[in-house]
Amino acid sequence: MYGGGYIFEEPNNRQVREEKIHDEPEKLAAFEDRIARGEKIEPGDWMPAEYRRQLIRLIEQHAHSEIIGALPEGTWITRAPGFKRKLALIAKVQDEIGHGQLLYNAAETLGKTREAMINDLLSGKSKYSNVFNYPAKTWADVTVIGFLIDAAAIVNQVANSKGSYGPYCRALERICYEESFHLKQGHDAFIELATGTPAQREMLQDALNRWWKPIMHFFGPPDKTSQHSEKLMQWKVKMASNDDMRNQFLDMYVPKIWELGLTLPDPLLRKNAETGRWEYSDPDWDEFFRVINGGGPCNEERLQVRKWAEEHGRWVRKALMKPTEKHTLPVA
Amino acid sequence: MLNNAITDLMTKMADDELIQGHRNSEWTGLGPVMEEDIAFSSMAQDKIGHSWALYRIIEENLGGRQADLFAFCRPENEYKCCHLVEYPNSGYDFSLMRHFLFDQAEAVRYESMLESSFEPLQQLSRKVKGELKYHTLHANAWVMQLSKAGEESYDRMQTALNEIIALAAGIFEPGKAHEQVLIDAKVYPGEKELYNRWLDRIYPVLVKASLNLPALESITPAYGGRNGQHTPYLAPLLKEMGEVFNLDTAANW
Amino acid sequence: MSLDPRVNRLKLGDPNAVIKVEEGENWNVYEVFHQEKRGAHHEHVGCVHAPDPQMALIFAKEQFARRKKCVNLWVVKSADILAFDVEDEDMFANNLEKTYRDASGFKVMEKINKFKQSSKGTTDVK
Repeated sequence: MYGGGYIFEEPNNRQVREEKIHDEPEKLAAFEDRIARGEKIEPGDWMPAEYRRQLIRLIEQHAHSEIIGALPEGTWITRAPGFKRKLALIAKVQDEIGHGQLLYNAAETLGKTREAMINDLLSGKSKYSNVFNYPAKTWADVTVIGFLIDAAAIVNQVANSKGSYGPYCRALERICYEESFHLKQGHDAFIELATGTPAQREMLQDALNRWWKPIMHFFGPPDKTSQHSEKLMQWKVKMASNDDMRNQFLDMYVPKIWELGLTLPDPLLRKNAETGRWEYSDPDWDEFFRVINGGGPCNEERLQVRKWAEEHGRWVRKALMKPTEKHTLPVA
Repeated sequence: MLNNAITDLMTKMADDELIQGHRNSEWTGLGPVMEEDIAFSSMAQDKIGHSWALYRIIEENLGGRQADLFAFCRPENEYKCCHLVEYPNSGYDFSLMRHFLFDQAEAVRYESMLESSFEPLQQLSRKVKGELKYHTLHANAWVMQLSKAGEESYDRMQTALNEIIALAAGIFEPGKAHEQVLIDAKVYPGEKELYNRWLDRIYPVLVKASLNLPALESITPAYGGRNGQHTPYLAPLLKEMGEVFNLDTAANW
Repeated sequence: MSLDPRVNRLKLGDPNAVIKVEEGENWNVYEVFHQEKRGAHHEHVGCVHAPDPQMALIFAKEQFARRKKCVNLWVVKSADILAFDVEDEDMFANNLEKTYRDASGFKVMEKINKFKQSSKGTTDVK
């Protein structure tokens, strides 16, 4: 579900990697030509070490975001109101696990095993989308997540699905298809509250107020402060800038919120008719970095729950392990 | 009289599936491996879906209350589920064994209703046949594989079986006066008959898995659920399930 | 206390505990082929991690056919798939004069039309 728009960058690692790109100039030129022609890169192809590293990081973070993303909404699985909402919510959370499965497989084709990725998630070495470190306090939160976070994820994923790495694009194709169901059911549940009783509207407005900041953070820091990503754009790993994606999201969804008579907690939010760009208050990027580094309201619980699941599922996995068998990575 | 008896039977079935489906859905996102997480969640959805279909038949064919209201807004003592489904999930061993015993019971029950004189039930049984086939295939495979996968795993499965068998036998709690009416009207063959068919079904799987079925004479089936007497686990779960819906049952959610 | 009642029932462990998954604990990889309708080819749709082919098939059913129309699935261990190296792509290039393999290499209509236009063709018709 959620390709967090922002790829977390470990500091101090960049300079060394940049040099490696120039290791094999002929192969690099052929590789870059292929991408420029719009062809996909497949698992067995030659690729620069940096391309491989960045892709693993991107896809892995995306996969983690899916399985961690299952938790905030999972909070309401046993409490979803009525059959239709209950079934839709379970199916949606299930899809997120399914997306995680597809994405881990795609990342594995690049050489990192699923186990290694899970370990990096559990140890905190590898990140996931920040937005899931916030709590889903009421049922209305589920509708805000289902509508707006999924919408934001779609903006990001549709862009990424046109990227250069074949297995990731194929996974995203299926994911985007399922996301359209998520968005629709989220929008439907959102509208139900928006057009419902005064108490329901109040509940929704409250959730919207609380989620607006994390939503503004979703696509990552502004381009002007973001690290240099030209190479990643050229290699079609990163397909659009943070600000462009954020602008596209605001363009598509702010009117859909306003048309329901709901408000957003930012007095400066407006579209500049001349530039065609949205203007907004600074959404507190310090908080964004604080939460990424473990200081969010739910960081600890999210990882604790994942650890519980891995620990309690271990006997099942170990019982059926076949240590003598040769292990391979996915073919495509 | 017959309609009351059918409503009673279908309420038991629906409540079982609603609660079991809920318990199983709690695993979504927390399963032992992603692939199994997905499979188990699908089956939880199927169960909740079956209960919804049953409640709708009660509503549409038997003059019952609106399905959502009936499912989520009843006092605890009006629920007729068996104790087996009420227990919290505990570990995956418990959940898998319960899934195996419960789904085999579901399968024999719905199969017996393929010939039911009550048309809507007959149709529903045809509709769920394929889903239940997958559920029992999945359950059998896990029980057999885990029982043959080393000592720890075998012990876990045997312990779970020992713990659950009396609860599972409680699925087939005799249905008092209503039951004979249903048997006479050929709605279904009755609990005793289903219990025997169920044993015939689980026994060969347990043998293949080298698991020992506890002596059935020595167990006391967990009865009471069908009459509205429940374990302490049900009330909090019902409260949870209805939490949002009960904020305003007249509102649309 | 978690906001999630499910989580409150789990009895979570120490948040600082080191939990590590062993290599191979997520089993082996099986490629999945999906048949949409009878008569259609089985098409590759992805893979599942599973301990053996039976479980791979059980898992594939829900991961790859829970929504999409499907009548049958195949699974095969990824290790058992033999493929050409991607560098051998040039081997597949058909840029030489091999039109004798293609339908377009045979100009049947041209010959018929030529025949019809000739005196032999026109006198024989009727």
